[in-house]
Amino acid sequence: MITLNRACRRARGCQQLLIAHRRLSQSALDRLAQPVQSYISTSRDPYLNLSVEHYLLQKSAPESTILLLYVNRPSIVIGRNQNPWLEVNLALLNPSQQSQPETESPGLGNVDLVRRRSGGGTVFHDEGNVNWTVICPPKAFTRDKHAEMVVRALRSCGVERSRVNERHDIVLDQGERIADVDLDNTHITPYTRHAGLPEIRPLKVSGSAYKLTRQRALHHGTCLLSSPNLNIIPDYLHSPAKPHITARGVESVSSPVGNILLSNEHFIDAVRSKFSGKYRSPEGTEHIEVGEDWLDHEPVRQGYEELKSREWTFLQTPQFTISTSADPSCTTDVELTVRNGAISGGHLRHRGGAVIVELNAHSIGQRVHNITSWPETLSQMFTGVDCAEGRRLGAWFERMLPVQART
Amino acid sequence: MRTLLLRACRPLNLTSTSRLQTQLLHAVSLRSLHTTHHLNIVKPFLLADIGEGITECQLIQWFVQPGARVEQFDKLCEVQSDKASVEITSPFDGVIKKLHYDPDDMAITGKPLVDIDIQSEITEEDEAKLAGGGGEEGAGSAAKESIGEHEIRVEGAAGVDVAEPAAENPGSQPTHPDRRRSSGKQDHSSLATPAVRHLTKEMKVAITDVRGTGKDGRVLKEDVHRHVAQSTQQQSTVHTPMQTSARADRKMPLTPIQTQMFKLMTRSLNIPHFLYTCATDVSSLTTLRKTLNISASSPDQRLTQLPFILKAVSLAFQHHPLLNSSLDSTDPAKPQLTYRSAHSFGVAIDTPSGLLVPVIRNVQDLSINEIAAQLRQLSEKARDNKLAPSDFSGASFTISNIGNIGGGVVSPVISEPQVAILGIGRSKIVPAFNQQGELVKVEELVFSWSADHRIVDGAECARCAERVKNLLEKPGKMMVEMR
Repeated sequence: MITLNRACRRARGCQQLLIAHRRLSQSALDRLAQPVQSYISTSRDPYLNLSVEHYLLQKSAPESTILLLYVNRPSIVIGRNQNPWLEVNLALLNPSQQSQPETESPGLGNVDLVRRRSGGGTVFHDEGNVNWTVICPPKAFTRDKHAEMVVRALRSCGVERSRVNERHDIVLDQGERIADVDLDNTHITPYTRHAGLPEIRPLKVSGSAYKLTRQRALHHGTCLLSSPNLNIIPDYLHSPAKPHITARGVESVSSPVGNILLSNEHFIDAVRSKFSGKYRSPEGTEHIEVGEDWLDHEPVRQGYEELKSREWTFLQTPQFTISTSADPSCTTDVELTVRNGAISGGHLRHRGGAVIVELNAHSIGQRVHNITSWPETLSQMFTGVDCAEGRRLGAWFERMLPVQART
Repeated sequence: MRTLLLRACRPLNLTSTSRLQTQLLHAVSLRSLHTTHHLNIVKPFLLADIGEGITECQLIQWFVQPGARVEQFDKLCEVQSDKASVEITSPFDGVIKKLHYDPDDMAITGKPLVDIDIQSEITEEDEAKLAGGGGEEGAGSAAKESIGEHEIRVEGAAGVDVAEPAAENPGSQPTHPDRRRSSGKQDHSSLATPAVRHLTKEMKVAITDVRGTGKDGRVLKEDVHRHVAQSTQQQSTVHTPMQTSARADRKMPLTPIQTQMFKLMTRSLNIPHFLYTCATDVSSLTTLRKTLNISASSPDQRLTQLPFILKAVSLAFQHHPLLNSSLDSTDPAKPQLTYRSAHSFGVAIDTPSGLLVPVIRNVQDLSINEIAAQLRQLSEKARDNKLAPSDFSGASFTISNIGNIGGGVVSPVISEPQVAILGIGRSKIVPAFNQQGELVKVEELVFSWSADHRIVDGAECARCAERVKNLLEKPGKMMVEMR
């Protein structure tokens, strides 16, 4: 099916001059006006899935309520306003381009880096994780409402340890059964430990993020069902640059995670069932498949291209400063300020020396993600840096702000 | 009705949040504009409360620049707070005059976001979004009020009923405010420069233990040195606490509700509290309630003790208005006391996310049934997460009932600008002697009154407390006091 699509698309590409816009089918467009809509994506492409989600947010009727479910191939998704150099071990992402033999990739192959449009922290997606999105009118919106719906879906599958916590995430309580509780309450389980008992941290299985516009409220979350990668996720989400970066913006709050151990299908059916029960549509809710054909629709494609672009991924980073001063192994203090993903200032000082060398003016505006060689770039940034020092500093910066492979 | 005032001689200071601006806005009625006469009104549009106790959020991007013409509902900017990215749209037609923040800056809730030259009709609700807030005070005190009020939305609640954890004696707080943060791997790069963190490593100090005095709570070098000096002092005087097992401590950030409580209760440290407790025989009240509840139409229409207590306090306040007053002590040399005419009682509610205190207004004008209905409504709203910031504002007195959990004598903490608070525990059956000297069972409920001794003296508080006790011990007395 997919290969057929691709062949057709290439053919269409040639005919693009003849066919001005491929649109979504009329029925798909009409559906956007229905009061209750449910979609599931057949694609594993995180950029496509997020673009479809964004399209639904912008184009669906303001009073409608929408469910979208999707699964992504292995990818790291950072929040709207996060810093990829701070949150992600970028060196691990494109193992085939690795020049340093000591950075052994954990064996996942290529992992996409995606910046989404909603807030919140960094998460790891793979085929054992199902993402759910609910879009509704702001009047009906609360931060917990749909997390509670998902917990009810989980409980209907027998996951009685699941509940919504104070951060609107879904967690599984650990440890022994404590007390009988009101089972309709999605914020407490029979295993929830109260003060006075030795603490056992619950495992986080779903994180939430939101995007609020004037007319619509979007709440999406992950759900860790059966990821095979739990033990290597920490490696991807731990950046060596973290101790050396001073930044603004939202930081991720790390929590121990665990798998619910439910199949994707079982979970998807349960969520759909709870959604349909909550938002009754007189004709019943049809679950519509969304696939790569949606890319033919111009607004979706534009959003897709934007999400894929390195400009969106890297230049949307809030201002930060990176400095060698906290690293005792460096003999030179170098500090660089990066604004909108591009160098905006910096200086260098040899430790034990008094002279401070300012960043050369022509380096201002150099986009960090476009740097191909740190030793070369550093010698352009600061005059008077000799070869050996340039190599040492270059190696340090290469570890902290890895060169991005040209895609 | 807004009348047109002529203030042509006074220069308009666009950046000050003065009373003049408020009045000028009230004064100018756009409907009275002549078509040939264009009045320029440039107003700061405030960043609205986005709930969750969030007081600031990061500005991500602007969609407009100064000089841009906007229509109502055009996007102005995108802001981000923890998990939510929010698009802010213009409520008016107009021209953008000034942006108050650069991208990446932290924008403060309740403070100006942009200045707009308004060229459309303004409704009353829109006025509230502008500096001056449409209230009696200027925006300066409006901002202060917004911190004093409990502007917190409730997180999905269940089992909502009134309760307050018995407040700790504020005097026993540790020297280091126990700021729990996330553990080990968690990054604090936003709280200290690399140089300072290098220093903490050198001095073998955990940065999370150091209290930062710099901007945004940043840890400065002086803070590290001070911490080291203090802890060497403490080591000689403090015993290490007993470790019951090798469990790891957990550092957690404060939730939004805890943050708000922290700020509010820290300010309450200034209040010299005294406690007056009063054991009340509520047997007659219980009998009365049982009788009334027989004819209740449904289980949730049954009357609890609380509406009666609220009414009794309100009746007592007719004779003791001092306990319903507000103290403004911002200038310690000139404290201002305001006797509030309305009895607006904050009622403390325990929710899974923490303590919330929504307000029931004008209790003096409400019947006991009406008070009960309002209490029910507030509980429901709290459960459905529908409490708005306006539900928390303007309390003149607070009642905190922890009876559904327990409690005998409690020592509640006053929220400024109030001057008193009443805490109620759980009633229990105790032995007592009746007028004939026989041993009988009575249902006793302890009322714990805390009052601000800068304003209220023991005798006045005691008289009020005894009056409430009498009203509740013989409910018939309430009947003859009602208007």
